[in-house]
Amino acid sequence: MSDEKQDSSSILTWLTVITFLIAMVAIFVYVPTEQTEGAVQRIMYFHIPAAWLAFFAFFVVFLSSILFLWKKEREWDIYALASAEIGVIFCSLVLITGPIWARPIWGAWWVWDARLTSTLILWLIYVSYLMLRHQTDMGSMRARFAAVLGIVGFLDIPFIHFSVLWWRTFHPPPKMISPEGLGTGMDPSMVSTLLLSLGAFTLLYFVLMGQRIKVEMMRDEVERLKKDHLYSN
Amino acid sequence: MDNLEYLFAANVFVWGGIFYYLFRIKRFQQSLQNDLDLIKEAVKKGSQDE
Amino acid sequence: MTIIWKDFITEIKTRELFSSMFIFALLVVIIFIFSINLSLIQASEVGPGVLWVAFLFAGTIGLNRSFMLEKENGCLQGLLLAPMDRTALYFGKLVSNFVFLLIMEVFTLPLFMVFFNIDLLPHLLPLLYVIFVGTLGFCAVGTLLSSLSANLKTRDIMLPILLYPLIIPIIIGSVKMTGQVLAGEPLSSMMNWVSLTLCFDIIYIAISIMVIDFVLEE
Repeated sequence: MSDEKQDSSSILTWLTVITFLIAMVAIFVYVPTEQTEGAVQRIMYFHIPAAWLAFFAFFVVFLSSILFLWKKEREWDIYALASAEIGVIFCSLVLITGPIWARPIWGAWWVWDARLTSTLILWLIYVSYLMLRHQTDMGSMRARFAAVLGIVGFLDIPFIHFSVLWWRTFHPPPKMISPEGLGTGMDPSMVSTLLLSLGAFTLLYFVLMGQRIKVEMMRDEVERLKKDHLYSN
Repeated sequence: MDNLEYLFAANVFVWGGIFYYLFRIKRFQQSLQNDLDLIKEAVKKGSQDE
Repeated sequence: MTIIWKDFITEIKTRELFSSMFIFALLVVIIFIFSINLSLIQASEVGPGVLWVAFLFAGTIGLNRSFMLEKENGCLQGLLLAPMDRTALYFGKLVSNFVFLLIMEVFTLPLFMVFFNIDLLPHLLPLLYVIFVGTLGFCAVGTLLSSLSANLKTRDIMLPILLYPLIIPIIIGSVKMTGQVLAGEPLSSMMNWVSLTLCFDIIYIAISIMVIDFVLEE
């Protein structure tokens, strides 16, 4: 049983590595350089998948939080924690790569553009979520509080989206599903590269999730053994 | 257009971030594994003594 | 109901919370006046922002206190043991926070009017509506989070950290609406903001009712 699990996780890891290698080749060799933006446009192939991944991770936090409050099983709490951590990591990567792209293209590191601003607020919400987890002692209280915040925080996203959008009305209307006009104004090779990169990042999410969950399971195991054997006698 | 240094910087951050996180998880796993082994050994010893 | 009354009676007896909130809001306004050059910037442009920052900071003090006092006196335990719906506890706290904050805001407004030389009187009704909706949204999220943070060791710090990112939409909306109201526009010209803030209030009160049981569980 556990061997089988090990096998599937290593298969997943290798699949991720291979997909990433292919994606790298596509990003740096295959795809043509953008005419107006130059080489820096290639950042997009990391930036958009990372943003997608962060959002997906936060959605998983939301779902696991609901399921935790409903079923009260520790594993949902672990999923929420792992997903929130990965989401924050990738949200940070989005916030770092964004300004690096914006500097040569817009001439400024940071513009209070709608999408940038809402990403920053999202990052703040989930950093505070992780802080809450660190501040609270282990146990059912921490899990319940975190789940409440995971639900409340995710429900805030539409409000943040619209308020920030109307706050700066000069911004062009966003294309929700197709950031930067996916598939419309782009070369087919660009679309396929982006999709490949999206796939690679999604696989990476599951690899990271698996590892992070393992850490938490091991921690539980240590606690349990300590309680059973060391403190009792 | 010559803005390769920006592309390079972005890559450093992305890969640095991902590998740092992986490295940290692995280190956690190792230290926890150590703890587990120690505890299991202690438990075994304890039961033998009895 | 009794919780609301209890809070009011304690407050009327001591007047502790109200005076500190009011003075704090006043100080925030004054510090803003010192930190911005009013001869360069139009008062009507920064005014709404300053007003809401003052409300926000003062409101945080009130929220921090609302569950902490109960926690310190061990009252919360008693309240939870009482055969009573947790939702009622949330509502009681929400109403008392909301009313305190509203009273404080009504006292701050005339001072704001004097300091910033903005004539509020012709726009008083829409302005009161904006303040009402904005404060309600702030209190809805704030009461839920303060019931949660009251159990933490670092509650004074954690409440703003948890609360501020979540209420950014309502702050943006309130500041925008206040600015437009003071510019003489009717509420009907900003229906998008009105509906956004109203939705925010309704959804957060509803979701708080749904999850408060899990927060106050023993």
